[in-house]
Amino acid sequence: MVKKLLFLSLFAARLLALPSLGQAQQPTPVKVVEIKFGKPEPADFEARNFVADSAASAVVLYDFGNTRFRLNGTSFQLESERITRIKILKKAGYDVATVEVPLYHKDLSEEKITGLKGFTYNEVGGKIEKVKLETGQAFTEERTKNVKVRKFTLPNVREGAVIEYTYTVTSDFLFNFQDWTFQREIPTRWSEFRATIPEYFDYKLLMRGYQPLALQAQEQVQTQYNLHTEGGMTDRGQHVSSENETISARATSYHWAMQNVPALREEPFMTTPSDYVARINFELAGENIPGRGYQNVAGNWEKINADLLASDEFGSQLDRAGFLSEAIKPLVAQYSDPAERAAAVRELIVKNVKYDGTNRYSASGPLKKSYELHRGTAADVNLLLIAALRQAGLAAQPVLLSTRAHGRVDANFPQLQQFNYVVGLLPLGGDQELLLDATEPLLPCGALPTRCLNQTGRLVAKGTEGRWVSLAPRHALSHYQQVTLAVDEQGNLTGQVHEEYSGYAGAAAREKLQQLGEKKYVTELAGRHASWELPSYKFNQVSQVDKPLTLNYELRRAASAPGAARELYLNPLAMFGESGNPFQHAQRLYPVDFGTTLQEVIMVTLTLPAGYTAELPKPAVVEMPDKGGRYIFTAATTSPGTVQLVSRLSLNKPIYGAEEYASLREFYRLALAKQAEALVVKKNE
Amino acid sequence: MLLPVFASLTLLVPPAPKYPADAIAPALRENAHAVVRAFDKVVTVKSAGQLVETVHRVVTVLDEAGSDDYGREVVYYDALNRINYLHGAVYDAQGNLLHQLRPAEVHDQGLGSAGGSLMTDVRVRYADLRQPATPYTVEFDYEVTSANTLFYPDWQPQHDENVSLEGATLQVTTPTALPLRFEEQLLPAGAASPPVVAGSQTTYRWRLPAAPAVEEEPLAPALSALLPAVHLAPATFEVQGYAGSLASWQSLGQWVYELGKGRDVLPPALTAKMAQLLVTSPDPRERARKVYEFLQGSTRYVSVQLGLGGWQTSPATSVATGGYGDCKALSNYTCALLKAAGLPAYVALVGAGADHADVRTGFPSSQFNHAILCLPLAGHGTTPADTVWLECTSQTEAFGYMGSFTGNRHALLLTPEGGRLVATPRYGAQANRQQRRTDLWLDPSGGAKATVRTQRLGLAQDRYAQLLHEADPEEQKKYVSNHLRLSHFTVTSLRLAPAPGPALPGVVEVMGLELASMGTAAGRRLLLEPNVLGRLGALPNQVGARQAPLALPPAALYQDTVRLHVPTGFQVENLPAPAQFTTAYGTYSSTCTALPDGTLQYVRQLETRRPGGGTLPAAKYGEYRDFRRKISQADNAQVVLVKTDA
Repeated sequence: MVKKLLFLSLFAARLLALPSLGQAQQPTPVKVVEIKFGKPEPADFEARNFVADSAASAVVLYDFGNTRFRLNGTSFQLESERITRIKILKKAGYDVATVEVPLYHKDLSEEKITGLKGFTYNEVGGKIEKVKLETGQAFTEERTKNVKVRKFTLPNVREGAVIEYTYTVTSDFLFNFQDWTFQREIPTRWSEFRATIPEYFDYKLLMRGYQPLALQAQEQVQTQYNLHTEGGMTDRGQHVSSENETISARATSYHWAMQNVPALREEPFMTTPSDYVARINFELAGENIPGRGYQNVAGNWEKINADLLASDEFGSQLDRAGFLSEAIKPLVAQYSDPAERAAAVRELIVKNVKYDGTNRYSASGPLKKSYELHRGTAADVNLLLIAALRQAGLAAQPVLLSTRAHGRVDANFPQLQQFNYVVGLLPLGGDQELLLDATEPLLPCGALPTRCLNQTGRLVAKGTEGRWVSLAPRHALSHYQQVTLAVDEQGNLTGQVHEEYSGYAGAAAREKLQQLGEKKYVTELAGRHASWELPSYKFNQVSQVDKPLTLNYELRRAASAPGAARELYLNPLAMFGESGNPFQHAQRLYPVDFGTTLQEVIMVTLTLPAGYTAELPKPAVVEMPDKGGRYIFTAATTSPGTVQLVSRLSLNKPIYGAEEYASLREFYRLALAKQAEALVVKKNE
Repeated sequence: MLLPVFASLTLLVPPAPKYPADAIAPALRENAHAVVRAFDKVVTVKSAGQLVETVHRVVTVLDEAGSDDYGREVVYYDALNRINYLHGAVYDAQGNLLHQLRPAEVHDQGLGSAGGSLMTDVRVRYADLRQPATPYTVEFDYEVTSANTLFYPDWQPQHDENVSLEGATLQVTTPTALPLRFEEQLLPAGAASPPVVAGSQTTYRWRLPAAPAVEEEPLAPALSALLPAVHLAPATFEVQGYAGSLASWQSLGQWVYELGKGRDVLPPALTAKMAQLLVTSPDPRERARKVYEFLQGSTRYVSVQLGLGGWQTSPATSVATGGYGDCKALSNYTCALLKAAGLPAYVALVGAGADHADVRTGFPSSQFNHAILCLPLAGHGTTPADTVWLECTSQTEAFGYMGSFTGNRHALLLTPEGGRLVATPRYGAQANRQQRRTDLWLDPSGGAKATVRTQRLGLAQDRYAQLLHEADPEEQKKYVSNHLRLSHFTVTSLRLAPAPGPALPGVVEVMGLELASMGTAAGRRLLLEPNVLGRLGALPNQVGARQAPLALPPAALYQDTVRLHVPTGFQVENLPAPAQFTTAYGTYSSTCTALPDGTLQYVRQLETRRPGGGTLPAAKYGEYRDFRRKISQADNAQVVLVKTDA
């Protein structure tokens, strides 16, 4: 499958052709589906029309959106109408009959819902019974300070019902032109979106997902807007009467549709479903109000950078860390090496400010306040880190990024709202640079939290347009186990295990240890294996996060069938490796995004009982295409009575395409099969 | 000009440190992420219809693992509960004030879409005082005025694992005319003081001494049932003008019954439709089934909880017109339908959920979160005389079935004569059954194809019934794949279908599997564990002495038959010895034999029991663990095949 990207500007002169599925071709013309609200189609009650949807709990028959502009007094508003019709096939689909419409409000600006209407249709005794949604049964909840939610549920929903509803949302937030999503968790027969945008506004469009458009058209139209100015007194005391005026403007009318869109399903190792869902996104780039000329609102990186750097919540705070000078002076004196000094400064911030779990790119208030409160958002913590680094004489700069849950950034678009996080970048001379984040105390300096491992970030630098910065981590997810075991004639195993968790594996193991404590950690480790006993254990380097977390333990495993055997079958590697293939599902539609590379090494030295020899499995090497991964297995008798087994698995890419999934799954299968092969330990004849 | 001087003077004298971490006794630090320094609750009953609850909570967070749960405070409120204030402060390890919570730092949020509800007035205020450096101490004070006196606050200062307690107090002041009812749970001696009467008021006091941190143990009752608590309830109360008494289950039931009175009127057409069933289905049980089918086909669960609506059902007519309602509304509606069909039934309150503790039967109070329906058929001359229980919020639940959600516990019947506590159905080993037949065709390279047919009945089918009805085929396959404990496999086909047993719901699962490496290759040999899917894991080793009682899972029967089709070119070198043992906890047997056609047949049966009603003294844990270890060992029985030289 080829990812399709639509890059359009709404200014007709700058219109680009739509590349469709890798080739420039117009979609085959389709018949536009039309419905009459309040009048269901008889065909929607015939079972034969839903045979193909036997797996679905409900099907969107028709989803239509139309966004226009209107004048409210002298201010433009967005007015978005929606009409949705859904067929309920199974009881499991009843949930789609409950609808939530979030409405944002801030200061005097708000989003408002009007014209809510809905019907449910059921076939009863060959006739269609129609029941109206009573708007008295719709509720409004003040979810948070700035968000109200209008909620309703359609009445009389049964298997086979068709529900439909319509409403209009008017919005003062021209920045918040709502995405149109063509795809849902249930299949969609027809999804259509229209937008009419007057010449005064320049929106950038971004098409996402893996589904083709069935329809795409645009035309130039004339529109009219009613301008209403309030009457009143001027400051000179003259009375001015209110006025109504009709203004005419050129506008572009857009029309998109998708047909027979499959359901979107979440898969493991996915960033967020919104990276894959078919949708169209609008970003206000400029305004061209008559008499004011073109105002670039979010047009280019240079302007974004300049605005950000001048902003109170961002740039203007970065050189105001004087309140830290006392704390930083000794660090400057102690560390001359920039990387070491940066690590010490980061440590200072980590120790003093706790990340509260909120991801933002702009500060919630003065950085000094966060420092004194000892708590803040990701932006508070990391902007403070950058300011502190600067105070320490290190030229750190902010890098904007979008967390994995927030979705991938599209490099084609200078859009601030693509981002929700900020980290620091410190050039170290040469090509070397350090990415810095102080939200996760368990990660070493230079490693970004897993949530940030989302391919690319944007450097914000004064007077330039900045640049893209790769977020690919230097650290891998790395687990190393060195095992020394002895087997007796009954098959009982005793020995020592040395484990090292480094990079992202170190952070994960430290977090688990922090939550469980040593005793429970070890009990859980033993509990994962049949008849393991761990008489003693010792964790080391627990708080030295720049070093691997190590765990040494003594291991005993009693043979399952006691009594001296002539032959023993042992597969010690399987005791320390993965218990199953992490890729259980045969198919995959979307890329596998681990975020990091991976290394898993197990070395076992096994001492046999005196007078025994071992028949060893054959060595093997498994390679993934394009050096994507490698598995090496060796087994050798290093000295009489001693066997060494080595299993080394590495995945060299943080992201594998959906087309690589089969080989990834097969790679694991082969590796696990090799680990599971048994040694045959025999008494010498 | 006096003011600034005064202000600077106070700065010269810093406030005395509070709650320094050093003052915590070493025994309370052991195994603890946090130490509750104080948990002082004051409950003041103002009248039958109003009470005020004041909480003072001080916790020292010792390490990061205690931070998220104890460095923050969440206070719930709704239309009947008002928060008067929420104050907070945080201190460093030495007890110096770091920060005083400001009103602007208290967040307020609606819980709208939580728990599948369409609308609720429940909201939360929360404050975050977590710190980067541990130990630190938070102090929260809040006060809530409640107009919902059906519920009195509970007091359980220690309720989590790895949290110790330095001390806690509870004080309840009530007009002597409105006597307090309370139930003490596992309180140490001397915790309670005698009530003090002053004027028209009576004051009760409790105090808990220091207690070390506890840890959750496997197969144990919930910690909330193992730690000291005082449960409070009114003798009489009044909510929104509805007065009631909690003197007995009868009186509580009476109050709820009265609340719903007159709300069971159906539209005439519907009454007529139900009455028609009297003619078409003379058998009461069949008729009840018809009514239930009608309910399941025409309604769904949608919850709207506003004010008293959290306790009072919406009228049956609203369900009839809208086709939806919450548990109370749907139970009330079904009750009305049954009544119209000549089948008087009772709405019953129950504490629903697989992990919900059973009602403390000796302490009449509002301990319920769900409503179901109870239909006694005994009076209708049916044989055998029985009682039908109905879950009215599910469109798919089997008629008369109470699974792990509502079964095996007490429910409060709401009758015109008041409440009556009765037991909901319980299912034994023969009812909770899993029978599986697996055919395995091994190929010479160690891979295998398999077909697996699993029939589950009773509690064993609960999750699969949900999967069958609520998930589409793709999701079903994902769920099943995620729960197979196999190294590498592909589910090639999967079909779930209803397959009820006599009087019990059931689900049959038919699955095709491809296993990449069924056996372990060892030179010329192939080692296989024929118990491919039915293994029961061992329990973890006990570290230190077991503290908690042993809570056994429900009795169940597991039967597995595996046919292993050996590929040509291989012969059996070794078959596992048969295993058979019986303990108080159950009976296990497994055999592996070669059938005349060369196929190997492995048969395993495990029937678990629940001696002592399912809860046994802690000392029994070792015995039970041995039982499980023996099963686990027997389950790993190995077949050895060897390549023939031909």
